[in-house]
Formats: sequence, structure tokens, C-alpha cells
Amino acid sequence: MAEIKIYHLYPGHLNLYGDRGNMLALCCRANWRGIDVEIIPVEPGDKINFPRCDLLFMGGGQDSDQKLIAEDLKGRSQDMRRAVEEGMVIFAVCGSYQLLGLYYTTNRGEKIGGLEIVDLYTEAGQKRLIGNAVIKCSLWDPARTLVGFENHAGKTYLGSSLQPLGTVIAGYGNNGTDKTEGAVYKNLIGTYLHGSLLPKNPWLADYLLQRALDYRDQDYHFTDLDDKLEQQAHDAAIRLAGSRRYKRMATRA
Amino acid sequence: MGKKSGYDLETGGFENRLFKLKLLGGIWAGKKLMGLTRILGRGGTTLPGRMALKILPQLSSALIERLTDDSLIVTGTNGKTTTSALITGILKDAGFRCIHNQSGSNMSWGVASALIGAASWSGSIAADFAVMEVDEGAFPGVTKEIRPGGIVLTNIFRDQLDRYGEVDHVQDSIKRGLELQPENGFEVINADDPSLASIKSIPGKKRWTYGLELDLPADTFQNTGRDIKSCPVCNEKLVYTKIYFAHLGHYHCQACSYKRPEPDVRLIGQISGPEGVTVLKISLPESEFEVKYSLPGTYNLYNVLAAVTCARALEIPVATVARALESAVPSFGRMELFEIEGKTMIMALIKNPVGANEVLRTILAQKGKIGLLVAINDKIADGTDVSWLWDVDFEQLSTIKEKLSTVTVSGLRALDMAVRLKYAGLDPGQVQVEEDTARAINSSLEQTPPGGRLFILPTYTAMLEMRRTLNKLGLAKPYWED
Repeated sequence: MAEIKIYHLYPGHLNLYGDRGNMLALCCRANWRGIDVEIIPVEPGDKINFPRCDLLFMGGGQDSDQKLIAEDLKGRSQDMRRAVEEGMVIFAVCGSYQLLGLYYTTNRGEKIGGLEIVDLYTEAGQKRLIGNAVIKCSLWDPARTLVGFENHAGKTYLGSSLQPLGTVIAGYGNNGTDKTEGAVYKNLIGTYLHGSLLPKNPWLADYLLQRALDYRDQDYHFTDLDDKLEQQAHDAAIRLAGSRRYKRMATRA
Repeated sequence: MGKKSGYDLETGGFENRLFKLKLLGGIWAGKKLMGLTRILGRGGTTLPGRMALKILPQLSSALIERLTDDSLIVTGTNGKTTTSALITGILKDAGFRCIHNQSGSNMSWGVASALIGAASWSGSIAADFAVMEVDEGAFPGVTKEIRPGGIVLTNIFRDQLDRYGEVDHVQDSIKRGLELQPENGFEVINADDPSLASIKSIPGKKRWTYGLELDLPADTFQNTGRDIKSCPVCNEKLVYTKIYFAHLGHYHCQACSYKRPEPDVRLIGQISGPEGVTVLKISLPESEFEVKYSLPGTYNLYNVLAAVTCARALEIPVATVARALESAVPSFGRMELFEIEGKTMIMALIKNPVGANEVLRTILAQKGKIGLLVAINDKIADGTDVSWLWDVDFEQLSTIKEKLSTVTVSGLRALDMAVRLKYAGLDPGQVQVEEDTARAINSSLEQTPPGGRLFILPTYTAMLEMRRTLNKLGLAKPYWED
């Protein structure tokens, strides 16, 4: 029987914007297909057994928590990098997404080092970028939409070796200027979108699960689930994000 | 407490006369709009205040000057509406005339609307106190404007992060507001909330603290939004010897000397009596007293305690406080009861994980079959980010599946809620989607059997919509007539 081990990084600290929804979507959708899921919560100071981990989920955190975690993770960034190169799946949202990059520059010009897993950096912006967002994502052919909610002060810029997760249709994306959102490197996906992201974009949840199984060469035929409700919620959220009311709010934020 | 100095509205000078004209203009424009919006069946708590503030930005402070006593602000994430209603009730029982923004419209314009509503057309105000519930984000601005003699702080939880960024920012906002309060004022602070209690007190201001000292059963909810896990002073792990809910309890830091301050006002006993009446034993610095009251849930214990502490700071006699609390009924949309054709509707506002979990706890404790209607809007007053729905323990509902006679989701984000319930373990076939809140109420009510109960859980603007529907059914009093 197929099995996925999900390491959930700091569920006590990185849990800001309904990250629980992402974990629920991964677990439910695996279970509905008869795939076993083992969740291993990781708290600061715990050792992550990277060779055992199939999928690492990192949520969003507050600035104060973030610093704590950056320091805690620094000692393990080499192991993490090796695992990413081998194809371990990482899904990182918001604060953790920034943390995977080279550095973060605060408003006061202070440079906080990142884990240097992927080639991106973040600068603090003057105003928070807040609102509903829709992106077009080419992980699939034809491309599919992803819809979520973003709320970040940092502006992230991708290095040339990185692909964005998608191009912005509505909202701000990585930095509000270059129309990119998120980043993809091998089986690592980073994004600013929450909402929660995975329940309303079930194809992304399935993509992560599939990649985690492939990573361990587990032969499993992915069955389709009844996603009518999720699809309706997805479509409704896109309509709302495009409506005048939200555009007005987005410019006010 | 005397009147504060400020604008002198009665005497000479062109500037002063112009100011007075603008003040009257603001009041008149506000009052006319209020009349108009109420004819349209709305509360008129936003637009009149906004318009009046455009005409005269200092309108609120000018009207507050005319109180014979003082103004009080109640702020924090949860419990603002109930706490400010309890304080207003106590002051009224003590014989004071009070202005209160009871509909929960708590931005600067909500405060202005309440004042305009209470002012006469000539701009005079016949009141002693103004008790204003104020949004955490609007708190510094409103404090600067109305210069309250007393500030009551309930708690800081995760709420509407789309508006405030993060919990840390809410604490900053509260700090800034406290610094803007005039000297010789007082503040009332929840000692059981580590992030509130860690705010340094300002010399010249009297600080009152309150806290629970009860042995309650442990919290069974796994995810009640513990937003604070580390010491607000040194960031090391915070240790709890008691947790009442979320991060409220008895705490101390392992590394530094930070710990829960010894509260001035303590709840030391709670005895449940018949028909939901509870007897509370409260200890003040100089005495102890008992009070009967009938609001449900642990969160209301904190609200009662905050109100009692504020009354103590205002030196209101204990007997008056006890009498006022005995007659307290749930405020606007906080477990309000409506009865129609032998059916009972219970309306409970939900707006963040901690508050919503408390409501779910009450629902889980119900005996017999119940109907459920959840209405989620994502307008600015609700919070435009609905991800908090995923932090609420809706999973608990799957344990009482067979007790749920009907489940309906409604509002602009009805489908988000439907997906949430699917992943919480409810069968999607069991959940009806009706985006229109009026139709959702009517159909849910139709499906509720006589003698049955229907729980309605709306976000703020969904609640306002639903109250209009209930008005039409002849149930809820329009809230401007309370």
C-alpha cells in the first residue's frame, strides 16, 4: 500500500493563515484514495530525518516567530538542500517561502540570512500587499488557475535559475511589479498564496502527493476524486477576485 | 473625573464660530442620513458618521467634550461588544446617562455615528458617560480624538489579519493607543493574556488587572488558536500551569522573570445553578462579593470580570454592580434567542477561530436534534481573508453528524464554507448551499421542526443582513431602537 510521510514544520509556530487547511487537504485527499499518510510534527530543536521525509510542509509565521525559526533551521540547511536536489517535495507558504531564499532585507536595512535553498531574495516593502489573487500556473498542460489570498510586506525577486509558480492574473504576486507569483525548483514549491490554498485548488494538492509518491518510486495509479464542490468554490473565488468591489479594496490596502 | 479642556464652542472669534457651524453641519448631515438609512431598513451606523467626519474631522472630540463625566473605550479582539454592554448596564443602574455604540460599529465613524445619534439638533448632549467599543486598529486614532478617562482591554487573538497584518501589529496598535490616553486616566487589563500583560504601564496612570482563578476542566479543543507560545519579553518558551482557553491562563517564562501579574480583581468561584444561572464569587482588593448571571461560556467570565474591574475603577458600589449583572442579557448577535412558531433560533456571531470554537463548544453540548446555518461574508467588516475558517475546529461537527437535522451554508463565501465542511468530515450531500442569506434563513427555518432549534452562525455583515430578514418576520427589534 502506498504511503506518504509528511513532515509538518513547526505546527505551533508557522500556522498563521489557515495552514491547517493545506495539511487537511493533503491528508484527506490521500486518505480518500487509500494512501496512508504519516504526519510527523516538527518543533524547534527537533531533528528532521530528511532521508525519511517525502513531503515537507512549511507554513506562514509572524515576524518574531520567523527569526526564531531561521536560526533553528540554519544548522540543517545542508541536509535540506541535498534532499531537495534528490527530489524531496517541499511546499512552503508565505514566511517560509521567503525563508528558503538567500536573504531578507528589513525596512531598517538589516539583512537576515535565509536558508539558501533556492535563488531568490526578499526586500521589505513600504505597504503590505493584501487581497485576493489569481494566477495562471503551467505545472499542467494546458495551464490551470490557482486562487488564493495574499498578505505580505516582503517583495520577493527570483533569480534566473528559478521558474515562477505562475503569472499573476489578479492581485500582486511576488513583488507587485513583475507579474510573477511563487517559485518552483525541482519538487519544491514556494508561494505567497494562502486561503487556504490547497482545498480550493485540489489539483495542486494532488500534484504534491503525486510527486511525493514518484520521489519514492511508489507505483500508484492516481484515481480521480469528485471535485465538483472544490471546482465550484474555485470558480466562485475567481469571480470574486475579479469583481469591482475587490479591486477597489486592493487599491486601498 | 472632571471635564477636559478643549474647544470652547460657545464664545467669540471667527475661527470658533466657523467651527461651531461646521459642528452643527456635521451633526445635521449625520442625523439626516441616519433618518434616511433607517427608512431604508438599515442601522445607519457607518454612513452618517463618515459623512459628518468629512465635514468636521474633530466632530467626535467636540461632542465628547460636552459629556458631564467622561468617556471609556473598550478594545481587544473578542468580548468588546459584551463587555461594553455590561459596563453601560452597570453605569445606567448607577444612575448615569450613557451613550454606547451598541450595534458593534466600532471604527471612528461608528463612534461618531453613536455621538451624533445622541446629540440634539443644536449640538448639545445630555449624557454623563460615553462607552465606546473600538476596533483594535482604530484604537490609537479614536483615543487621540476622544481622550478617554478609562480604557478596558479584553484580549488579543488572531482576527482579521488582512487588515492588521499580524498579531504583533495588534499589540503595537494597543501600545500606541495606551500612550495616547491622557495622564491620570486608568486602564483595565486582562492579567491572563501574556501579550496584554507584558505591555509596560505608563507612569501617572492607574492600572487595574483582572484574571480567573478557577479549576476548570482542561481545554479539549486541539486548535484554539494559541497565537502566543513564547514569552513576549525574551521569546523563550512560556509555561502554563492553567489554560482557560486559547492562550489565556496562568503562565510564566522559563528563562526570564516574566510571569502573570497578580490580578486586582479575581474570579475565585463559580457555582452553576438551575436554568443556566451561575453564581460567581469575585474578589476585589478590599472585599468579596457574589453575583448571579446567565451568559454562557468561559469567554463571558472574562467579559464580566473586565466590566466589574472597570466599575471598581469608577468606584461604583458593589451592590449596584451585582444588580446590573443579574439582568444582563446577551448582546447584539452574541447568542441571541429568537422564537417563531414554536421554533427557536439562536444567533451567534463568528469572526475568528477562538470565538467560533467557543460557539461550537456550546453547539456540541446541545441535546437533541439541531439545525445549523453558517453564513460567511468577506466584506471589510468581516475580514476579506476567509482562511481563518480552516483554523476553526469544524471537525468537531463530524462527531455529532446524526444530531444535525439540516446544515446550510450561505453568504458571499458560502462555497468556501461548504468545502470547509467537506474536509471537516461532513457529507457534501448533507450540506445545502444558498448564497442569499434571506433565502437561507427562510429555508432553514422551514426545515426546522416545531420545537426544534436552529443555530445561526454569521459573520458581522451577514448578521446585519440576517437581522433585516428577522425584522421582516417581526422578530428582531431594529438595533437602533434598543
